[in-house]
Amino acid sequence: MRKTGIVLLCFLGLVLFYFTFQSAGKVFRSNWEMPEHAIEPVNQHRLILITKNLDTPFWDQVAQGAREQAQKEGVSLEVWGSYGNNQDEFLKKIEVAIYSKVDGIIVQGMDSEEFNELTKIKASFYNIPIITVANDVPIEKSLRRTYVGSDQYLAGQMIAKQLLADMGPAGEVVLMSDSNQEYYQKQRLQGIQDGLKDYPDIHAVNVEISDSREQIISATQDVLNQKPDAEAFIAVNADFTGVIVQEISKRFQVEPYYIYSFDDGSDSLQLLEQGKLDGIIGQSPKTMGNVSAELIIKLLRDEEVPFDKEGYLTDIRMLKEKEAR
Amino acid sequence: MNRIQKKIWSLTLVVLFIMAIIWIALTYYNQKTQDQYNAILQRYLSLNEVTVASQDLITDLNDYLLQPSEANLTQVDASKANVQDAKGEILILKNKDNEFAMANYMNLIDSLTETADRSLMHHKQQETEASTNDFSEAARISNYISETTLTLIDTELKTYERLYRQVIEQSNELKRLGIWLLLLITFLLLLMTYWFSKSITKPVQKLTQSANELAKGRFDLPIKVESNDEISFLAETFDRMRVNINNLFLEIQEKAQLERELQQNKLLLKESQLKSLQNQINPHFLFNTLNIMSKKAYLEGAEETSDLLVSVAGLLRYNLKRLDKPVTLHEEVIVLKQYMEIQKARFTERLHLHMEIDEASLSVQIPGLTLQPIIENAVIHTIEPSEDGGNIWFRILDSENLVTIEIEDDGQGMVQEKIAQILGGDSEQTEGQSTGIGFSNVVKRLRLFYGLEDVIEIQSMQGKGTNVKLKIPKKRRNDEND
Repeated sequence: MRKTGIVLLCFLGLVLFYFTFQSAGKVFRSNWEMPEHAIEPVNQHRLILITKNLDTPFWDQVAQGAREQAQKEGVSLEVWGSYGNNQDEFLKKIEVAIYSKVDGIIVQGMDSEEFNELTKIKASFYNIPIITVANDVPIEKSLRRTYVGSDQYLAGQMIAKQLLADMGPAGEVVLMSDSNQEYYQKQRLQGIQDGLKDYPDIHAVNVEISDSREQIISATQDVLNQKPDAEAFIAVNADFTGVIVQEISKRFQVEPYYIYSFDDGSDSLQLLEQGKLDGIIGQSPKTMGNVSAELIIKLLRDEEVPFDKEGYLTDIRMLKEKEAR
Repeated sequence: MNRIQKKIWSLTLVVLFIMAIIWIALTYYNQKTQDQYNAILQRYLSLNEVTVASQDLITDLNDYLLQPSEANLTQVDASKANVQDAKGEILILKNKDNEFAMANYMNLIDSLTETADRSLMHHKQQETEASTNDFSEAARISNYISETTLTLIDTELKTYERLYRQVIEQSNELKRLGIWLLLLITFLLLLMTYWFSKSITKPVQKLTQSANELAKGRFDLPIKVESNDEISFLAETFDRMRVNINNLFLEIQEKAQLERELQQNKLLLKESQLKSLQNQINPHFLFNTLNIMSKKAYLEGAEETSDLLVSVAGLLRYNLKRLDKPVTLHEEVIVLKQYMEIQKARFTERLHLHMEIDEASLSVQIPGLTLQPIIENAVIHTIEPSEDGGNIWFRILDSENLVTIEIEDDGQGMVQEKIAQILGGDSEQTEGQSTGIGFSNVVKRLRLFYGLEDVIEIQSMQGKGTNVKLKIPKKRRNDEND
């Protein structure tokens, strides 16, 4: 009886000791360290990639490519930007980047007064090199060092060729582009129009729409009303693709229409997979990211100057419905 | 000494020690937490400081541009200095996670001061428009700084989230530790108090028990207290007292015993003396008469009768004189021989006496008239009842410490009860005794004389005979005592 009592007491004592020391250990032996204070000065180059279409598949790939390249080169790179084509925010980011005196800016070109002022005056003032990616703004306007991206004129021609192949040499074609007259859209339009100009039976109509969603919807409806014979639609601004398909499908079957677009719209690829589009121009966003980062790093390290002012063109191809699947 | 005091002190010290340890640990922990909190707060405060300083700069610059006075210019300069100070302070906040953002932030601050400077410069050169432009640019940069500050704080929160969670977890753990500690200390203190109090009260209890036993009169139980304090000292003293009392007690008992023995001895002597007194006149007369008769018989030529009468006279004289004094065995043997001659004359051929005597042992002291009653007993029970008579053996054997006297017969033997009676001293039969002294009287006297119970041994078998053995020590116990 007594023995059991003693054993029990010992056990109780041990248990209490164990838990107390366990607890004390947790309280006193914890790691309270603040994150290491980086003492050595940051000698790394700081690069910034700025886009106004964050979180779209196309730009995600560009960012990924650039990041990979930056990591490979041991340079820090951040991706900034605005969502859903928000231009004010986009411009603000560029301004902040310039005031922050980053070492290089890779930017989605936007052919506007403000943009050009920033790149031309501010960036030069702070001596920050700028490379446009995916969408170009001509060097005279923006003073950009170079351009990395697709040959938009060629892309337009490829679409025109495909259209001819699909529809035949006669019909009414609606081209839908931005009223902002972005440089890359102009080039695409030029390409398409040049591709079609040898075919008098093809009537190409260019509709210019400003950027808001309501505008696109109403413009599409107008076109459908005014041009009931239109057989083909080409979304020169890829962001319009979704609305066009939606509006057409409200009234008719989508299948008989020939609808073409580019892969830099947020839903282009998805629509192609669903069979709503007949073809899109596939670009190489990842390569763009890679190459642009590589070029700007070379520039910062004084390795390859001067640049090819015309730009470094990346691969494009026609993606058909079947291929996408 | 003062062991109990020491124990109390040590208990108190242990409790104090535990309390001190807990206090130190908690204070240390508290200090650590406080420092941590301060460091964290400091980070946010210094970030905020930048925003405030940059906004102040813009306000002051605006004031100056509107009202270009010396005082306002000083104010602007002071603000600029403030901004630079704040910038210096946030330098320590740089870490791996916010390296990029921090670099941007620093440059933004630089851009702000540069733009402010440019604005001032243009203002001095009277280029109002450029100055205003620069000012609005500076205001924009200041806004950007505010925004970036928020972003940085956000990053800070993310970076330190784990740490903050840890702090929360830590304080929870501290609560748990408090509970465990309370339990543990309670347990330990209870245990220690139990042992401590037991180590004091148990010896006291034992002592009380022993005192009770003593009070009841049991002096033979030793008092044992296992303890190392004053109580054990008390117990030892107490035990010594017990032993002393016990010894005194035993001594008194022994003395009482001796006194009683002496009394008995005297009583027995008186008894026999009384008996002999009863016959006192007669024996002297008889003694003289016997002597005359012996001479007469001798003169008349009856020599045998004369010898017999001499023996009877000798026996009588011995009987009268030697009862209260020790005699030597030699004297006893002579008397015995005289007695046996008388008996031989009585029983003639029926009595066969065999004697074996070790002469060396004859000097031993013995109470008077001890052998004769025994032999007589043998004669009465062996020769008298039998037509053919019988044998009596008488042996004296010497050994180292003892002289053994053996009287053996081949008569009808004794009943066990009778032996018990004789040895127990109950038998008072005096029938047929020539000297008036019975067997049991001999036994008692022998025992008293030597102070030993184990003096006589009687073995008997019905029909086969009796063997009486006296073991006489060569040294009397009383001699040793004297």
